[in-house]
Amino acid sequence: MARNDVALMAHLMRRAGFGAAYGELERRAAAGYEATVEDLLHPERHPTLETDILERRFTDWKEMNALEVNQAYWTYRMINTQRPLEEKIALFWHGIFCTGNSKCEHGRQIQLQIDLFREKGLGSFRDLLLGLSADPAMVFYLDNCMSHRDAINENWGRELLELFSMGVGMDGEANYSEDDVKECARAFTGWTITNAIPRYPYGRYEAGFVYNQADHDDADKTFLGETGRWNGEDVIDLIVKQPATARFVSRHLYNFFVADEPQVPAWQNTPPRDLAAIQALEAEYYRSGYDIGAMLRLLFNADFFKDARFAKVKSPAEAVIGTMRVVRDFTTPKPGLHNLAMNIRYMGQDLMNPPTVEGWHTGGEWIDSGTLVERINFAADQVGNLELPGVRDIVERVSTASDANDSSVSAVSASEVVDRCLDLLGGYELAEITREQLVEHVSRGGELTPGAADFSQRVGQTLQLIVSTQEYQFA
Amino acid sequence: MTTQVLGITLQPSHTIGRAEFSGPGFRNPVAMARGADDLIYVVSRSYEYRPDGKRVTICTIGEDYVGEFARGVTTAGEGEASSADGSLIWPTAIALDREGNVYVADEWLNRISIFTGEGAYLSKWGTPGSGNGEISNPSGLAFDQDDNLYLVDSENHRVQRFTWDGKYLSQFGRKGNGDGEFNMPWGIAIDRHGDIFIADWRNDRIQKFAPDGRFLMKFGTSGAGEGELDRPTGVAVDKDGYIYVADWGNDRLQVFSARGEYVTQTTGDGAISKWGKDKLDANSEMWQERDIAQGLERERQFWGPVAVAVDDDDNVFVVESARSRIQIYRRQLPTFFGGRL
Repeated sequence: MARNDVALMAHLMRRAGFGAAYGELERRAAAGYEATVEDLLHPERHPTLETDILERRFTDWKEMNALEVNQAYWTYRMINTQRPLEEKIALFWHGIFCTGNSKCEHGRQIQLQIDLFREKGLGSFRDLLLGLSADPAMVFYLDNCMSHRDAINENWGRELLELFSMGVGMDGEANYSEDDVKECARAFTGWTITNAIPRYPYGRYEAGFVYNQADHDDADKTFLGETGRWNGEDVIDLIVKQPATARFVSRHLYNFFVADEPQVPAWQNTPPRDLAAIQALEAEYYRSGYDIGAMLRLLFNADFFKDARFAKVKSPAEAVIGTMRVVRDFTTPKPGLHNLAMNIRYMGQDLMNPPTVEGWHTGGEWIDSGTLVERINFAADQVGNLELPGVRDIVERVSTASDANDSSVSAVSASEVVDRCLDLLGGYELAEITREQLVEHVSRGGELTPGAADFSQRVGQTLQLIVSTQEYQFA
Repeated sequence: MTTQVLGITLQPSHTIGRAEFSGPGFRNPVAMARGADDLIYVVSRSYEYRPDGKRVTICTIGEDYVGEFARGVTTAGEGEASSADGSLIWPTAIALDREGNVYVADEWLNRISIFTGEGAYLSKWGTPGSGNGEISNPSGLAFDQDDNLYLVDSENHRVQRFTWDGKYLSQFGRKGNGDGEFNMPWGIAIDRHGDIFIADWRNDRIQKFAPDGRFLMKFGTSGAGEGELDRPTGVAVDKDGYIYVADWGNDRLQVFSARGEYVTQTTGDGAISKWGKDKLDANSEMWQERDIAQGLERERQFWGPVAVAVDDDDNVFVVESARSRIQIYRRQLPTFFGGRL
């Protein structure tokens, strides 16, 4: 297996999923790059997790009430799914269509929204927006249940345009007017939810979507230049055909899957860093009938994607899950999952509870002195734990490095150990000076002989040093 | 005198409990046992991030709070060494011996902790493993009439019999789906003849065994129709031999005759408990919210009926993990007592 093929597969799996252990990367590379892209785009080819066993061990997963319970559940799913892109696309849409527990106070309701992203996230953007418009967590979060025929609340109408579909502007121009916001809100009057059952004494129940015709403003509306008795579904049909929407979706896909872009509010006046890539995605958006999966097929197979290794700062979820998938801990239910899941929060991404409807600022803004320390401590603790099967596997593979066929050579060179560890963690590349310092540090301990008492420990220490580098923070 | 038993009906009695991490209430309860007089003992597994909610609550059938004992610990180290005596991580099952001492199984620690009926810690036993007398994920406990403890040894797919203090006596079962074989069994009940009923969880059936472990019969297949089961978790047998099954995946309770024939079922009749009313009175705006709530009928339905118990006073208890409460039914026999008509 060519080393570069595996490294490219590591790149694909980090972006389309959350990374993978080396053995899986080898298997996938052998199956082929394009075949793997297809496999990822068809999550239904792989089984779901065994819910019955999970609910037996984590008995609170039947109710899924509290935020923290849902965070633990999602963490477990991301670590163990055999459908990595299904979880990754859910994370992608969650970062855009933000809904927060701080307002909803019902983790299960938000988890159901994440389920919507799992189910529709790789399909038609129109269907997804329609589903989102009728999602009870969203209807509540953006107050559409407070928007009435005779007294509109613009919150949903505004964010649908500004944050969820078109963006405020592109190429220096505004994409819509204040009147469009009002007309959009009018079109969505009557899209509401059932009155909630209070949390006491037995806990919450999920709300249901209700369309209340009596509270719907059925009069003419002029939206984005077109006039008619628009209802919510019509508005979405008008939105999805806008060039601004094609641009907005394409930039988001590029920003999440390819390379960090400026923060979203800057997009009106900041052109894409790779306009040709964005235009290719826009064309595919229209050609495919707004199909997100088709856009991702183009994206993952494009040179602009393959050439973008380590062009993104890992999000906290990627940082935690990516490490866990390599060390292979929590592959079965066990206590401690909550503490593990909380690391994502400590690194600045409180899943299902974003700071605002704008979601999280990404890229370099994930990192500050506090979150960087969290990242390094977390990853170093994991890869330094020689009990974990993934770490043991790495040690084993390092011990049978290239000299293994030559029985006259029993030791593995320091540079060989460093390079193997970089490969086995997922094809990481260090600045040459960093690599040299690492090699020098490793060689200071004397010869590395597989089977020697300190061999495993020194490999573990090498892994710890690698995950403490700046380079490991990039995906 | 004519006594003809045609079947039974379940008459909703009342609901007890509310969702609490301490004090009157339960949190994610998974098991219960009847104590002396009108006492019941309820095991709350709580959420992992709220280990303070893991506990055993003592209360009465009439919902008077008596107390609570045992305590949750946050994270597990290796085995029981890091978990103090009397603490709980993944509690699963509870049983009382003839003297009223309380045995609680923990499927993470592979440990049986013993307390007095008032909750004072006495002792523990349990060795992880798959050899004779070793246990892996204990999930059901029941005493026979000789005060021996039958333990559903779930991950070893068998049932083991111990003395009260953990001395191994015998075992039956192995992994599989044939007669007398198990797939991750969960609940257990012992009837007045000493026969043993096991909720063979992942085989979607109930199996019955003689006290010596000889297979006697089975009933149930996968599905949601009458008499079909979806991951049955709990089983109980009343004094007349009727068998009650917590049909967890179908969110219902089913009742079978002693021969395993389907008799009746219920999907729940939950009402506001006494503690629940106290809580609502203290948050009176919630009474108003309830007045306009839509879909309130869902509150009646079982959600996660994980355990079932019966007593000799015709009470049937259904423990609901996802609703932190116990629904109590009265078992009613269509029996005519008297002379010939």
